[in-house]
Amino acid sequence: MSKLLISFVLNGQKVSAQVESDMRLVDFLRDEMGLTGTKIGCGEGDCGACTVIINGQTANSCIVLAPQIAGKEVTTIEGLGSYEHLHPLQEAFIEEGAVQCGFCTPGMLLSAKALLDENPNPKHDEIIRSISGNLCRCTGYTKIANAIEKVVRTKS
Amino acid sequence: MRELNVVGKSVIRKDALDKVLGKTQYSGDIKLPGMLQVKILRSQVAHAVLKNIDCRAAESLPGVHAVLTAKDVLGSNTHGIIIKDEPVLVMDKIRKLGDPLAIVAAETEEIALQALFLIQVELEELPAVFDPEEAMKTEGPKVYEKGNIQSVRKIRKGDIETAFAQADIVVETIYRTQMQEHAYIEPEAGVAYLDGDVVVLRVSTQNPHFDCKEVARNLALPLNKVRIVQAPTGGGFGGKLDISVQIYIALLAIRTKRPVRLVYTREESFIASTKRHPYVINYKSAADEKGNLLAIDVTVIGDTGAYASYGPGTLTRSAVHATGPYEVANVKVDAYTVYTNNPTSGAMRGFGVPQLAFAHEQQMDMIAQKAGISPIQVRLLNVLHTNSKTGTGQVLETSVGSMETIKVAQAKAQEVLAKSDRKGGTDRIKKRGTGIGCMWYGVGNTGLPNPAGAFVDLMDDGTVNLMVGAADIGQGSNTILAQIVAEELGVRFEDVLVTSADTGVTPDGGATSASRQTYISGNAAHLAAQEAKKTLVEEAARMFEVEKEQVIIRDRRVFVEGAEENSKSIEEVIGGCRKKGTMTIGHGCFNPETTGLDGETGAGSPYGTYAFATQIVEVEVDTETGQVEVLHIIAAHDVGRAINPLQVEGQIEGGSIMGIGFGLYEEVKMLDGKIKTPSFATYLIPTSMDVPTVHPLIVEEPAASGPFGAKGVGEPSLIPTSAAIANAVFDAVGIRITELPITPERVLAQLQENQ
Repeated sequence: MSKLLISFVLNGQKVSAQVESDMRLVDFLRDEMGLTGTKIGCGEGDCGACTVIINGQTANSCIVLAPQIAGKEVTTIEGLGSYEHLHPLQEAFIEEGAVQCGFCTPGMLLSAKALLDENPNPKHDEIIRSISGNLCRCTGYTKIANAIEKVVRTKS
Repeated sequence: MRELNVVGKSVIRKDALDKVLGKTQYSGDIKLPGMLQVKILRSQVAHAVLKNIDCRAAESLPGVHAVLTAKDVLGSNTHGIIIKDEPVLVMDKIRKLGDPLAIVAAETEEIALQALFLIQVELEELPAVFDPEEAMKTEGPKVYEKGNIQSVRKIRKGDIETAFAQADIVVETIYRTQMQEHAYIEPEAGVAYLDGDVVVLRVSTQNPHFDCKEVARNLALPLNKVRIVQAPTGGGFGGKLDISVQIYIALLAIRTKRPVRLVYTREESFIASTKRHPYVINYKSAADEKGNLLAIDVTVIGDTGAYASYGPGTLTRSAVHATGPYEVANVKVDAYTVYTNNPTSGAMRGFGVPQLAFAHEQQMDMIAQKAGISPIQVRLLNVLHTNSKTGTGQVLETSVGSMETIKVAQAKAQEVLAKSDRKGGTDRIKKRGTGIGCMWYGVGNTGLPNPAGAFVDLMDDGTVNLMVGAADIGQGSNTILAQIVAEELGVRFEDVLVTSADTGVTPDGGATSASRQTYISGNAAHLAAQEAKKTLVEEAARMFEVEKEQVIIRDRRVFVEGAEENSKSIEEVIGGCRKKGTMTIGHGCFNPETTGLDGETGAGSPYGTYAFATQIVEVEVDTETGQVEVLHIIAAHDVGRAINPLQVEGQIEGGSIMGIGFGLYEEVKMLDGKIKTPSFATYLIPTSMDVPTVHPLIVEEPAASGPFGAKGVGEPSLIPTSAAIANAVFDAVGIRITELPITPERVLAQLQENQ
């Protein structure tokens, strides 16, 4: 397989890298860039644990090839917030009890972020739909939805 | 109940911060220098004799460091939860599809996969058996020489023959429940490496001490030369109790002298992991004309698949809980654990009780109908209360919240459920109904010792190290154990640091299963804190010149009862201890007070305490498509005492949604021992779109033997949901579905039959 030189923006930083043409984006992020916050739950694009944001839209990075992000802006969970500056969604998830085992959490947060970036005032149904591609087995989704609602209410 | 400082508060769990930042290192995220990747060669047939396995071509592939088969297992080649019947690597007989034949460690996953293709396997297929009722017959294929009936658990109480003869109401139904998959979002994973002469594993697991014993046995190592450290675990639900990656990575770490990593693919996780036992339940109930239960006669056939795993334990628990949370004087149960060549059934949230609840709750509704009373009335008439005797003859002395949960759920149902839009006229397509499901659940292993230990170290500055064996798999045990210790020692929640589930450091906590950690590890941690506090209190009493009983420690201040303004800091008192050379450390161990079950009658007191719950659901049935939508779940759970109400709510919400999956969507479809649905595309777990409005209600009937009165909730939250849904479907459209899941096809078929 050949290697391609691609340039893209990752979590706000310009990056140039050689990527194998057949490497999955999730493996590129986790193994080449050391960003293990993006998880692999199924590898088949069904569970959403590998959710990242590419040019404002969420994508399952396990079914995106690394070269596909050339020239694009990618956000992973590592780009959402830091210990010093948590994103309001991260704060809300913590406060509302929306985190149990945490494996679906990065994907959930990014799906919520993509929603709020596009629509800061979503209705309940829109919130539910925005995370419908992120499977969670622990929480039953209610507190996750509550956390997103909290951010919407606080902002408005 | 008096208000406490830390216990009973919805403190924020400490691991949430790293989890929302994506910083938590699950096993699959760990990267070690020189780490090799592992793949497993699995059988593609369900029943066969393994004649030969030739790995030479695989071994020669560049990048391959080791290829191991059964002959390379250093110690015993079998493992298993109860019976050591499962091969580490198959030596002679393949008993299910997916049985492990060889393992490869290579530089990359791709090379390891290529190596698998080069392994030559010679086998002779055998006729197989996939139906447990067929498997029980004397003729036909034998999974094991000794026969396919692994065991039977019997309950015999009273005189069922007379009771049935005298009964005014008899209801007999056959129920069938499906194989369910745990579907934790994190697949099985682990890494192993050598640290001197200790082999260290960091794994996704629910029971590190059990893992340690198995690895030691299979590698012929002393227990303290195997260190199992539970990595943050992405869910378990009973599926990460059986051995998965542990023995393979340990063997390969020793063989290659390199760190090794094994992460299952999702498909592999479906194929290789255990499942909820599918059951065939023949349930016969007898009642008098008023609806008082007189007797039950139940036969349960549980397909445990190729290996026993938790089978006997599951069928035992099913037998004990078969009555439902009701007083029944005459009980006969026969619960069979049966081998087939299907994938192994093991522990799954509820452990044999969700299946029985699906049966007994529908029986109760049918009895109510024949007696001319309501579903709530029949339950109020029969429900267990303080001093009731269970089906195994155990007297329930304290903490019987069953009645309270019915009342609380009923009150909430009256408040929230739509009074209008119910059933409607004959031209309405969507019909609504409500249904009730009650449950009970013994906390801890059934009639068996299952202790947990804890160490507490109160340090010079008043911060605390708590060491517990209990594995936190996302449910939040680390948080509530810290709360218990903080409460007892009089420090803040933030002052307690928890180290958990590390066999090199923490004492055995037993498995995170049976909804037992709050009750059992909670008690152990509480006792350890009490011991650590002793010298502190003695020193304070000396300093203040009072009796020990008058010393209070709260919020890091030490004072005499009634004279809070004259307090000393906890550091000052600890300093006093140190000057005398006394330490402030403690240990605790707790094992529930139980008896075993009699082999013939099942009589005994198998649990230290029981959880109770009532769930009322409202459904809407689309009579054109057969789809059932759950609109509301009202879930009232008696947890004894909620150490952390927010976390208890989280368990109720999460468990009831998994219960919806069990009731409506989930089914591992099998054909000749092969799973046809090994992916999230074909095995449907609830998404956010499938979630109703959930009303979690905490009921507290303190357990005298529980830490601050606490019991458990992890499994209870799932148990009654499918039963309540089935009863609600009957209420909506007058059909009784006795097979799970309640699919649109089943609903339509019955609706059409009724017409």
